[in-house]
Amino acid sequence: MLNTALNSFGAQVLFATSSDENYPPERMIDGNMETFWLSTGIFPQEFIIRFPDNMKISVISIHSFNIKRLRIEQSTNEEAEDFKVMAEKEFEQTEGSLQTNEISLDCSNATHLRFLILSGYDHFVSVHKVGIQA
Amino acid sequence: MVKLRARCILVGDAAVGKSALSQMFCSDGSHFQKNYTMTAGVELLVKSMSIPETNDSVELYIFDTAGRETFAETCEKMWGQPSVVCVVFEISSLDSFNSCSRWLERVRAHCNGLQLPGVLVGNKSDLASRREVETAVAQEWAREQGLQYHETSAKEMENCDAPFLSLAQAFHAMYQDRRQIIQRLSWDPTDHQ
Ligand SMILES: Nc1nc2c(ncn2[C@@H]2O[C@H](COP(=O)(O)OP(=O)(O)OP(=O)(O)O)[C@@H](O)[C@H]2O)c(=O)[nH]1
Ligand SMILES: [Mg+2]
Repeated sequence: MLNTALNSFGAQVLFATSSDENYPPERMIDGNMETFWLSTGIFPQEFIIRFPDNMKISVISIHSFNIKRLRIEQSTNEEAEDFKVMAEKEFEQTEGSLQTNEISLDCSNATHLRFLILSGYDHFVSVHKVGIQA
Repeated sequence: MVKLRARCILVGDAAVGKSALSQMFCSDGSHFQKNYTMTAGVELLVKSMSIPETNDSVELYIFDTAGRETFAETCEKMWGQPSVVCVVFEISSLDSFNSCSRWLERVRAHCNGLQLPGVLVGNKSDLASRREVETAVAQEWAREQGLQYHETSAKEMENCDAPFLSLAQAFHAMYQDRRQIIQRLSWDPTDHQ
């Protein structure tokens, strides 16, 4: 499941604070590590992923570059509101390869996940793939 | 087409013309205040700059900071993480030029090791008869610090866009560079055999 493209079962990116038309937010959930979303300056950066149903989530995986501090919030509402913090983590810096991180959650339910990139190791950060495990 | 966002920290001694310069830039030259109104905190101005020969633009969030030492500490707390820096002195005051390295250090201390493109601005170029800082001297120091140097006159509306265009271009160039690095990094040769 961590390897499945999120968009293949109807997930979508509802909102993102940055968008370069060549690197749109959908690239984070197309299952392809070579395509990515690129932030365009100033932190924090944010994006929200919406699932078609309420999902049980035990692990979130993220492939990225130059993210430093990330906070993940969940909502169980039909609308993207009432977010609660699920996890906050500082990623290690990588050189010459992407950052690969898995974040375990104690089996939370969510209709929406909100990702807040609080800081970076550079002015611009990329997210290549977001995966989840039920 | 992409719209970048940059936090531009504008610093320099009191009364060198930071507010005049940024207001001139943001109001397209319709707004020069002859009477000095001291900035007591940080004033935020926003202006979008298009990058020549591209469809891209950079939205500059200009943090016009008080030059008076009394306010320095409070102001620094409002900067957040700088993207670019603009250090201003007036060409008719050597003291204001000598303060520039201190201002630059102050801003750099907020960068957490991130690269900081910047410009040095010698304002009040209309006061050439009272010049205390030679262009060559300012240029040399700017070069040592990796800054671009511009002389402006907010009063005469001379060259006020140039420093901000320089900053926007430097930030845009940095984006292009990072974009290519990440592109190369994520290209997996095993998928292309
Ligand atoms: N002759 C001349 N006067 C200028 C120029 N730019 C600004 N001034 C004048 O210099 C004085 C100070 O300008 P400000 O823009 O308020 O200076 P500041 O750097 O923002 O000062 P603080 O807010 O105290 O840090 C004002 O009286 C302006 O009219 C210029 O290019 N030429
Ligand atoms: Mg001022």
